[in-house]
Amino acid sequence: MSFEVLLVQAVVNGLVLGMLYMLMAIGFTMAFGIMRVVNFAHGEFYMIGAFVAFFLVTLWDVPYVLAIAGAGLATAVLGAAVERTVFKPFYGDELNGMIVALGLSVILQNLALIAWGPAPRSFASPFGGVLNVGPLVFPNERLFALGAAVLLVLGFWLLMARTQVGRAMRALAQDKEVALMQGIRANRVYPLAFAMAVGLAAVAGALMAPVFSVSPFAGHTPMLKAFVVVILGGLGSIPGAVVGGLMLGLIESLAGTLLSAMMADILQLALVIGLLLFRPWGLLGQREREG
Amino acid sequence: MKLMYRIVASSAACVAGLAFASAQAQEIKLGVHATLSGAGAVWGQAMLGAAELAADEVNAKGGLEVAGKKYRVVVTSYDDKYKANDAVTAMNRLINDDKIKFVVGPLGSAAAVAVLPMATDDKVITMTMAFTPKALGKEFPYSFRPVISSAEFSDPQIAWVVKKLNVKRVGGLFPNDESGQQVGAANAKAYEKVGANFEAREYFERERVDFVPLLTRLFAKNIDTIELNGNAPTTAALIVKQAREMGFKGPIIRTGGDATGEIVKVAGKAAAEGVYVHQTINPADAKVADYIKRFQAKYKSEMNAFSPMFHANVQMLFGAMQQAKTTTDLDKIRDAMASMKDYETVIGKVSWSGEQAYGIKRQLDAPFYVGVIRDGVSQIVAKCTLKSCD
Repeated sequence: MSFEVLLVQAVVNGLVLGMLYMLMAIGFTMAFGIMRVVNFAHGEFYMIGAFVAFFLVTLWDVPYVLAIAGAGLATAVLGAAVERTVFKPFYGDELNGMIVALGLSVILQNLALIAWGPAPRSFASPFGGVLNVGPLVFPNERLFALGAAVLLVLGFWLLMARTQVGRAMRALAQDKEVALMQGIRANRVYPLAFAMAVGLAAVAGALMAPVFSVSPFAGHTPMLKAFVVVILGGLGSIPGAVVGGLMLGLIESLAGTLLSAMMADILQLALVIGLLLFRPWGLLGQREREG
Repeated sequence: MKLMYRIVASSAACVAGLAFASAQAQEIKLGVHATLSGAGAVWGQAMLGAAELAADEVNAKGGLEVAGKKYRVVVTSYDDKYKANDAVTAMNRLINDDKIKFVVGPLGSAAAVAVLPMATDDKVITMTMAFTPKALGKEFPYSFRPVISSAEFSDPQIAWVVKKLNVKRVGGLFPNDESGQQVGAANAKAYEKVGANFEAREYFERERVDFVPLLTRLFAKNIDTIELNGNAPTTAALIVKQAREMGFKGPIIRTGGDATGEIVKVAGKAAAEGVYVHQTINPADAKVADYIKRFQAKYKSEMNAFSPMFHANVQMLFGAMQQAKTTTDLDKIRDAMASMKDYETVIGKVSWSGEQAYGIKRQLDAPFYVGVIRDGVSQIVAKCTLKSCD
């Protein structure tokens, strides 16, 4: 296998992983940007999305693409309910909000464990097989995940940039008091924003379910990656989540291919430490304002 | 009136307490210390099932009869999450909170290394799945291993497969911990002994699910064969799946414990076709087939082939208690079990060996097989002893 082939395969794989991390990070950073909620249970919504897709496909024979949408919607509804009951009482109290999120994470993992057992589940993607482009080989299910993620992010951007709802969310993120004075109903926008955030995580879970298989603890690593991406890109910055996600995916894939898996893990975290030391607001985040 | 209620309630509680206490006295407590979550969960379920089915078997007859008294077998289990510190916590709870003296477990090598010293100090008989040679020895006289480890089956199996497939350049992915490192070293030696070269070894963290970069590194070294060694069933399955998706057409060999069910399920029949596996048991054997049916009926899931080995060990434990006429003298029970020769169990006649390799007879001596996955099922192609495969 020539070096060029190696490189191209590593880059494409890195983009696929990067899109996954990006989807996770956008949701995570949204929750913080708009509601100042550090949702440590974000990974569990990824896991729930994966399980919903699994059950829709294997128990009810729902076509995979519909199952992905179903997973996203169902988890979004759950997310809205969770936001109103679990997170709302802690707005303004960030520390306790974080603790509550951690508790929620443990509860959701263990509920999944009790309901579905520990053994990993899997199902075959309808996009089986591989795409051969000369000496390059790309698994179709990963290409599909990449394509779906790109469409989703584009749709999300359109929503945030061009619709009333998106503008309301951005206004609340910029300055809550002024936004409220302008008549924006936080009680309507917050649950919607949270639902979208976890819906994105759920879709990521549904897209990766046939690739990596599903278990109650499947959300742990994506959550960790989302956290790293958000530190890289800047907490609260959606462009930061996009850039950071792609960067992390590429670093992981290239370092893993050219150096070793251990070096890839070390590099990612060394990057985080370096950034926190020298540019703690991330690549595209906003500096903390004094006063 | 209130006082009357109080007196009645507390007397009832006392009676219940006494009844409970005396019921406790007629119990044999069996612990299960295994990984019940994550990639190794299938193994843990196999061990838990082995203990529970053995308990069911005996309890259905009114209990295990030892020295004229009948004892109900009660199973308690804890999940060690395949982490050494959780393994220590779990063993602590079994030994100190639940006062258990007979444990099916520990599962992983990292767990074994962590908990065997305390189990030995407290005189607890353990039945481990750990492949590390450090799990058996004169310093751990209560530690038994009912599975054939890679130290025992690697050489004969690899010799047979290398000859059959004309393997020259092997690559493998190993978890970055005790088992992974031991198995990595043992594998490489075994291949080199029969003239094949272990060209590439990559280590990874156990939770990893994306092996594409690592496989790319292996392929860059022009390997012709992938060795799956002792990776957890789901991990092995993901490696097979991703290797085939990357266009690897060469042979894939698993010189490690049973993972066939998972490989077929996760990688699909097409990708799993032709994978050479180590087969622990012969499912065509009547007693084994019956055990498999019972397991699947009770747990509604595929049975990992390690399960009957643990079931056999628990059967031997019960037999040892009966022979030694005690359920509490650990040394007598241990010695009775260790001296069993050609003892009839669910997997046939078994004995203990390992004097040469470990200094003490605590390694189960039973036949094993080499299989090939065809259309989703492993078909036996060779029968092996600890010396060679035919």
